Amino acid sequence: MNAKKMTAKKMSFAKIFVILAVAALVPLFAHAQGNSDNSDVTLIKNATVITITHGRIEHGSILVRDGKIAAVGTDVQAPAGAKVIDGTGLYVMPGIIDCHTHIAVDGDVNEGSISVSSMVNIKDVLNPYDIDIYHELAGGVVIGNVLHGSANPIGGQTIVIKLKYGAPPDELPFPDAVPGIKFALGENVKHSNFSAPGVAPRYPATRMGVEETIRDAFTRAKAYQKKWADYDRRKAAGEQNLIPPRRDLQLEPLVEVLEGKRYIHCHSYVSDEILMLMRVAKEFGFKVRTFQHVLEGYKVADEMAANNIGGSTFSDWWAYKMEAYEAIPYNAALMTRRGVIVSVNSDDADEARHLNQEAAKSMKYGGLTENEALRLVTLNPAIQLGIDNHVGSIGVGKDADFAIYNHDPLSVYAVVQKTIIDGKVYFDRQQDIARRAALESERKDLLAKLEKENQPPKKPAAAESKGEKKNEKKPEKGKRKKTPKPELVAMVAGGAQ
Amino acid sequence: MKQRNCIRLLALSLAIVGVCAIVALSFSSASLAQSSLITPGEPRYFAIKGARIVPVSGAPIENGIVVVADGIIKAVGADATIPPEAAVIDGKGLTVYPGLIDAGTSVGLPAPEAPQMGPARGRRAPRPMPSKLSTGPEDRPSTTPWNVAANDLNPDDPRVENWRSAGFTTALVEPQGGIFPGQGSIIDFGDERAGNMVVKPHATLDLSFQPTGGFFSFPGSLMGVIAYVRQVFIDTRWYQQAEAAYNAHHEGVERPPYDRTEVVVGQALKDNELVLLPANEKLRIYRAIRLANEWQIRAAMYGAQEGYEMTSEIAQSKLPVFVNVNWPTMPKDADKDNITLRELRLWDRAPSTPAALSKAGVLYAFYSGGIAKPQEILKNVKKAIDKGLSADDALKAMTINPAQILGVNDRLGSIEPGKIANLVVTDGDLFGEKTKIKDVFVDGMRYQIHEETPPPGPPGHSGKPRPMTQQGVQ
Amino acid sequence: MNATMNAMNPLKSTAKSFAAKSSLMLLALAFALPVFAQTPAQTSSGVYAIKGAKIFTLVGAPIDNGVVVIRDGKIAAVGKDVAIPEGAKVIDATGLQVYPGMFDPVTQVGLEEVSAVNATIDTTETGEFNPDVTAATAFNADSAHVPVTRAAGITEVLTVPGRLGGFGGGGGSVIGGEASAVNLGGWNINDMVIRRHASMELTWPSIQTGSFDFSTFTFTQRPYAEAKKDYEKKIYQLDDLFDAARHYAEAKEKGNPDNFQRDLKLDALAPVVEGKEPLLVVAFKARDIREAVEFCEKQKVRMILAGASEAWKTIDLLKKDNIPVIIGPVLTMPQSEDDPYDSEYTMPGQLYAAGIKIAFGSFNTSFSRRLPQYAGTSVGYGLPHDEALKAVTFNAAQMLGLGDQLGTIEPGKIANLVVTDGDLLELRTQVKYLFIQGRQTSLDNKQLELYERYSHRPKLDSQP
Repeated sequence: MNAKKMTAKKMSFAKIFVILAVAALVPLFAHAQGNSDNSDVTLIKNATVITITHGRIEHGSILVRDGKIAAVGTDVQAPAGAKVIDGTGLYVMPGIIDCHTHIAVDGDVNEGSISVSSMVNIKDVLNPYDIDIYHELAGGVVIGNVLHGSANPIGGQTIVIKLKYGAPPDELPFPDAVPGIKFALGENVKHSNFSAPGVAPRYPATRMGVEETIRDAFTRAKAYQKKWADYDRRKAAGEQNLIPPRRDLQLEPLVEVLEGKRYIHCHSYVSDEILMLMRVAKEFGFKVRTFQHVLEGYKVADEMAANNIGGSTFSDWWAYKMEAYEAIPYNAALMTRRGVIVSVNSDDADEARHLNQEAAKSMKYGGLTENEALRLVTLNPAIQLGIDNHVGSIGVGKDADFAIYNHDPLSVYAVVQKTIIDGKVYFDRQQDIARRAALESERKDLLAKLEKENQPPKKPAAAESKGEKKNEKKPEKGKRKKTPKPELVAMVAGGAQ
Repeated sequence: MKQRNCIRLLALSLAIVGVCAIVALSFSSASLAQSSLITPGEPRYFAIKGARIVPVSGAPIENGIVVVADGIIKAVGADATIPPEAAVIDGKGLTVYPGLIDAGTSVGLPAPEAPQMGPARGRRAPRPMPSKLSTGPEDRPSTTPWNVAANDLNPDDPRVENWRSAGFTTALVEPQGGIFPGQGSIIDFGDERAGNMVVKPHATLDLSFQPTGGFFSFPGSLMGVIAYVRQVFIDTRWYQQAEAAYNAHHEGVERPPYDRTEVVVGQALKDNELVLLPANEKLRIYRAIRLANEWQIRAAMYGAQEGYEMTSEIAQSKLPVFVNVNWPTMPKDADKDNITLRELRLWDRAPSTPAALSKAGVLYAFYSGGIAKPQEILKNVKKAIDKGLSADDALKAMTINPAQILGVNDRLGSIEPGKIANLVVTDGDLFGEKTKIKDVFVDGMRYQIHEETPPPGPPGHSGKPRPMTQQGVQ
Repeated sequence: MNATMNAMNPLKSTAKSFAAKSSLMLLALAFALPVFAQTPAQTSSGVYAIKGAKIFTLVGAPIDNGVVVIRDGKIAAVGKDVAIPEGAKVIDATGLQVYPGMFDPVTQVGLEEVSAVNATIDTTETGEFNPDVTAATAFNADSAHVPVTRAAGITEVLTVPGRLGGFGGGGGSVIGGEASAVNLGGWNINDMVIRRHASMELTWPSIQTGSFDFSTFTFTQRPYAEAKKDYEKKIYQLDDLFDAARHYAEAKEKGNPDNFQRDLKLDALAPVVEGKEPLLVVAFKARDIREAVEFCEKQKVRMILAGASEAWKTIDLLKKDNIPVIIGPVLTMPQSEDDPYDSEYTMPGQLYAAGIKIAFGSFNTSFSRRLPQYAGTSVGYGLPHDEALKAVTFNAAQMLGLGDQLGTIEPGKIANLVVTDGDLLELRTQVKYLFIQGRQTSLDNKQLELYERYSHRPKLDSQP
């Protein structure tokens, strides 16, 4: 699959017409079949629909069928039996796409032991039961670019997922999304801010060494690529007794990068290292897809734009590391103005819950328009991830991925009401609230039941008294000054509830 | 006439010598019964008569007979013939089960070397650090697939006796530690020479996904371990191909480097050895199924304590399962403010896994998973029975199922003629709270189990029940 | 002496020409130095009038098309028909809004520059009990954080020493020291400080079973019972310390100062145990909050609870004891995965509805400017807008005993004001004018300067 260029794809008018026409005919068919089952059909009606590509539609409706958008407009009707979501007073926008996340990972997000860890793959450790997925759904996020950490110049393979909380792990990866790999530059990679006693510092310890680590890896990757090319050629020519080269899982993803089949997402901060990777990419003939964080991207925005590299950045983080000291909240806006496709990301499960707010800040810092601001968390990250023909805006044929708010999503007062992926409601605020009492009582019941099972059968009296006691544990006043007596410690350790 | 008399005289003297010999032998054997030196090689004829027999391979026999000789079950039934040489054990009020199989333990193996500790930092205790920092998969970190349990067996390990006294005649004994800790062997818990205990030396190729590295040594993460194991399988298959090509035609071909791991793992794959994949929680069960498929290996999953959540997926995968009956429980010292509902549910429901697996038609066996006191194993199985598992299925999971999964069901796992004479004799239902184990037969050797099994003393000395031998012969 | 001084000080003897020369030099320097240096940041305090704006005094209804008069650092008058004094610098704020400047009551602005660089950090002293160290002493008036933070509308802060519940620096710090109230505009700390000893910081020791070892990058766990023992030991130490401070204070009051040894730490704690200075207790988890409240009750100190993530589980207790709460960053995860996903967003509204006095704090340096975002988010989840405004301006001042000086637009108060083009809490609102201590303060800062510089970079014509 060829890497998609970093431009917005506009659906041709003809295409839209055909799809609308077919969509319009569908109810006819449904009708013709009589009482057909339309349970996979949903109508979100009478909302403010923020399409991103075609402006806002007041009192608009969206028809969803089989997980895709079947129709959008002011006059969309629902077939009989369809589910209806009343959007009156609500705002529907494309679900938020977080271009930099570390949620949904089982175990460590870093294989930090070696400087080139491209053999590891996030896909092997995807965890659909991570509560952070649910928390992010509650913040309107539908898609995440799950990345390896920033411990190494060349990190592990990465993957784009849909936040289908609780689904089997194989259902999370975004179908047909180009796989990625994480690169990282700067302080984390050179272990600037930590070290272990008795352990020799790892190479690279400077930004210079970071460049050489990457150049060396690609030099080896090229040699590996050639080895296989030679083998394939000789085999095709009919040579016998050939032993194929040994497959090297570390170099294979780098060959894929060279062949344009894998996107590089590079964590980077300062302008010199951003320029470095562009230079190395040129030397070896590969492309960088996005610079992540790229807090000094505003200093080299023209170069990024010229090389068609996207920037995925924070809204207003700064000063937590030396390399973040010249970060500015105008970064997203300034890069946008200079022609870079920019997204705003979270790199943090909590930050991801309010990416709509983070996007809005670029209106204040740098004067982006409303739509430009919303693009930072919808269509732009979709373009960066090469999935913009499926998601990132509301249009017929696209996936039914939505975030529904009770206020304009660019307002600090907006609260997500529902989050929908492939037409299915994955988060519903009212249902969440309704469920809380039951979950709390299940918790209390199980705790009591298991505590009872834990008590040794010889002391039923003790168990009872502990069971009735409320949460307040108060050691007797007189005892405060002395060393606590063993019984006190034991009671406190075992009895505090 | 004279010739015939000579022959008669010879016959008579032979007879006298023979009688004397027999008498002498019987005296000597009687004296042997008291002495502490017992030479193996006794005919080991036993018959248990009038007991309730639960063969597992068929319906229980209420008033049955089991005949054992030379370590093999000779006959089972309501009307089996008891050979005259057999020592008859009155089975009234007793029940005979096949010897229990613990499908995963380190009993019989010496404790693994204590890991080298890193430096202490202030108040923090030193943490284990790998002895050699590994810089990548080629260093083969924590990889010792050549550690075959049968080669390191210590029959004097006091735990062997403990397990046996709790009714376990057999176990899959597995080396511990590392990503490829080694190969598990099926061991009978007799206390003879180590070699006599081995039923099947190369039973399983074990895998663990616990990162052994840390931040400074590969692999330091779960995904690192998986990538590493994947590379090992790729390398192994490459080596097989390369070696074959090289051996067929040396000239002009670069010699494939020798790697012990590749050789040993290659052999295991060739022998279609069962590869054990860790799979305790739901997510990891999914992963084990996926990796078994990707790596095209004959696999089984072990752990499965959250298996109750996905019985249909497990059934569909057709992978056999080793269920860890060391159920996770709420620690007594728990910080109650920090317990999650997720944990509570697991603690509550884990013991319901076996019943759910049975219902879904999954083939599974139980293993002790680090339980220190073997009596707890049956108690924990009882917890599963309380959560809906049938006693029949529970027994199967400790007898015929592990035998089947490990490919030894032609000789273990049920009371059938021709199978190895591993039996447990109890005074009641195996899972009864007050039931005591009276006798255990391992490879036809009888061990009487006394009321209080004394604490394990130094090997070979007091407290060890002696194998019962014939008491005199008529 | 004067003669000598005059001889040594040419400025005095040749005042005019030297002054002229030095102004030229200064002017040259001003262009050479980066724009965000303090020198040109503030005008002198004089007389100003802001007119034509909607004024949110926060005492009573907003005033449409009102006037605020500032004189000599203070608010002189505010109202609809206030007369504009002659000679006043007039700011036409038609279509704009005027608010009291925001107050971040829990931050470390001025005490740290770059979190990862130790040499730039002066937040937490070594040792567990440091009641005598004072934040204002270490306050870096030229920190880049000062102009950046005030450009977002925060005019004054309580800069707080200690670990604020975090793990950084002095990992075991219990009493971090004296928190200082500081205006974010002035020539140096003496010029900027409002009150050096505004509040005493105490991070309530928490039972820590898990800890992260940065040297091996591993997470270690220890038994709950062991952690609990450590915790109890610390509480006993705290009790003892406070008791000692009480005795010390009594002795100081009644006795002859010559008869006892001055103890700096007990000296610092004395006003706290006498109830004259509030104790800012940082605690997040419900059981820590309960323990802290019990402790403060017993020790009879004026407690302000800060952080308070699980305060929604202890509402009755806080209400009963009338404890004010400075809520830590609202945009944070719930403490437990079983807690409602919006527990932190909803809590401010819940506390307010129960009658508890609340304020918002950032608990951070680089995120101090997120203060209005925290307040705004809480409004979305139920906190009334009016109260949210107070919770970023007046309420914290009141809790700290500075309510007569700050937090509302009333005559006599310090003229810390922010003029915006919209709702103070909204994300796209721009600050247009800023007054700190009655001086018009530039919005220039390091980040704005970098933005403007690179906005004007000529386009790159060819590929690099």
